[in-house]
Amino acid sequence: MGYRFLPDVALADIAFEAESSSTDGLFETCALAITDIMVDPKTLRSTTERKLSLESENLDRLLYDFMTELIVMKDVDSLLFGEFKVTVSPGGTSLTAVLRGEQIDRVRHRLRNDVKAVTMHLFGIRREGIAWKTTVVLDI
Amino acid sequence: MPANPAIKQVSEVAWEIPTSYKPGMQVPARLYASKKLLDSMDSGVIEQVTNVACLPGIVRYAYAMADAHWGYGFPIGGVAAFDPEKGVISPGGIGFDINCGMRLIRTNLSFSEVKPKIKELVDLIFDLVPAGVGVKGSQNFGQSQMGDITSLGVKWCAENDLAWEDDPQHVEEGGFIKGADITKVSRQALSRGTSQFGTLGSGNHYLEIQVVDPERHLDRDLAKEFGIVHDDQVMVMIHCGSRGFGHQVCTDYLRVFESGMKRFGIEVRDRDLACVPFSSKEGQDYYAAMVCAANFAFVNRQIIVNRVRDAFSGVFHRDAEALDMHLIYDVCHNVAKVETHTYDGTKAKVLVHRKGATRSFGPGNPDVPAPYRKIGQPVIIGGSMETGSYLLVGTQKAMTETFGSTAHGSGRTMSRTAAKREVRGSELQRKMLDRGIYVKAATMDGLAEEAGMAYKDISEVVETMDRAGISKKVAALRPVGNIKG
Repeated sequence: MGYRFLPDVALADIAFEAESSSTDGLFETCALAITDIMVDPKTLRSTTERKLSLESENLDRLLYDFMTELIVMKDVDSLLFGEFKVTVSPGGTSLTAVLRGEQIDRVRHRLRNDVKAVTMHLFGIRREGIAWKTTVVLDI
Repeated sequence: MPANPAIKQVSEVAWEIPTSYKPGMQVPARLYASKKLLDSMDSGVIEQVTNVACLPGIVRYAYAMADAHWGYGFPIGGVAAFDPEKGVISPGGIGFDINCGMRLIRTNLSFSEVKPKIKELVDLIFDLVPAGVGVKGSQNFGQSQMGDITSLGVKWCAENDLAWEDDPQHVEEGGFIKGADITKVSRQALSRGTSQFGTLGSGNHYLEIQVVDPERHLDRDLAKEFGIVHDDQVMVMIHCGSRGFGHQVCTDYLRVFESGMKRFGIEVRDRDLACVPFSSKEGQDYYAAMVCAANFAFVNRQIIVNRVRDAFSGVFHRDAEALDMHLIYDVCHNVAKVETHTYDGTKAKVLVHRKGATRSFGPGNPDVPAPYRKIGQPVIIGGSMETGSYLLVGTQKAMTETFGSTAHGSGRTMSRTAAKREVRGSELQRKMLDRGIYVKAATMDGLAEEAGMAYKDISEVVETMDRAGISKKVAALRPVGNIKG
């Protein structure tokens, strides 16, 4: 369970594969992967909390929208998050999330890549045995 | 890539894949590449360019230029023209970073004057042009001005003392593409965009101090037309786009297009090829929003140029005018535009998608600005930060062969993740300094990912396009100072 970067996918951008035993965990894992691409998570504190509610037409789209929301908050509010508590509804069409992190600090944070969008390339949630898996290609 | 028997050589540097290669191909695919580039091209390019050839309303060919590499949906380095009535528009054929592009500014300084001050100059520009994760620009116009800005682009800048009088005419389309409609842009895109004017971004975006490199190539007669008059003249090149604004426009409309495709009964081989008829309401709405993002990018690069002029003026204690810091040109390399072309014996309007490809209009074309009309449109091809870049001009052959299009850069051969495993950013920075390139980077990880080894040989790409006759070399430029986002 967790995520791994895929070196042979998306030459100009960054791809990762995530898996978890639950949809809540899959969403949290994807969020952690995105944070890891943007900043060294070890340099990030949890001084700010945001609550998020989202609705989408299906589970795939819900994850896509959730990841996009993280990117928007980075651009609009300069916020990066390192702790995530996500609860996906039984039908997979809505979620509530608590995000903890802080505003970007160019001195203290070891910043990495600016993630600008989630692409649809190879995207989709799949069930493999007991695991929930997804592949995500991010535009850098 | 192993030799693919379906690829037929049609000239020294042009190759074709027939419609029999894949069910559903409406037109053949055409690739521009030397044998060396073709052999090193990733197999994703072939799959993607032939997927593009399946899209409704495509005309003549789906093209892959010499710098083509794996993208999403379309390959990067891809060109496709569509019948505006029967054809589609696809965000995947434009890219998330709408109007990512290149600007080239000249100076009258020689490298001997700049060399002792290169560190001071690069450090100052690094402070004035924010780069990296989540940066805010120094110029925040507010959402109430976004309508005018995204409609009028650099023309708006000129009307508001944010551009020199001759800047707009040295930008593709005169600094703004017609057809913008801010009401088609989401609140999220506006929120992401308003604070990002004048920011470089990250990834492969950069701002580079360069020197004309006659040892690699210099056509002195042509170069003179651009004000390049001495052999070690200093130039500035900027590579960036529409920031979060453009990315959000693309994100928003991919959703619209996915449901739109069901309504129009369009099936594609890849979700990133989502498309709808250009003439549909969804297609027209996306085009209007995409144009807003394209004009945003023109303004973003203009604000950056203003900061660069300020920096040079501060370091060299002369007005930017006295330093002759005029814009040579600004080209889009991620855009779709309605253009008039002659193909199959007919002159017609087509919707040309260029994704990682540059317009390359030839001499005499009325869309080439007056100062360059007799020689052709400037084409700016950016290489990796280690290997240098090129200025070229468009040709008549590009008009007849590729809907006036050519390559845009080196093209990657190695992923970011793989590049980081090969080299450390701090080690690369030191090696580049040893070679006379002073680099200031927002992040060391980002620097490592942009190492020259991760890219194709820029000279091989440019030489291929020159030999193909669809753009013509003017000057090679070598980096001496680089700001990496």
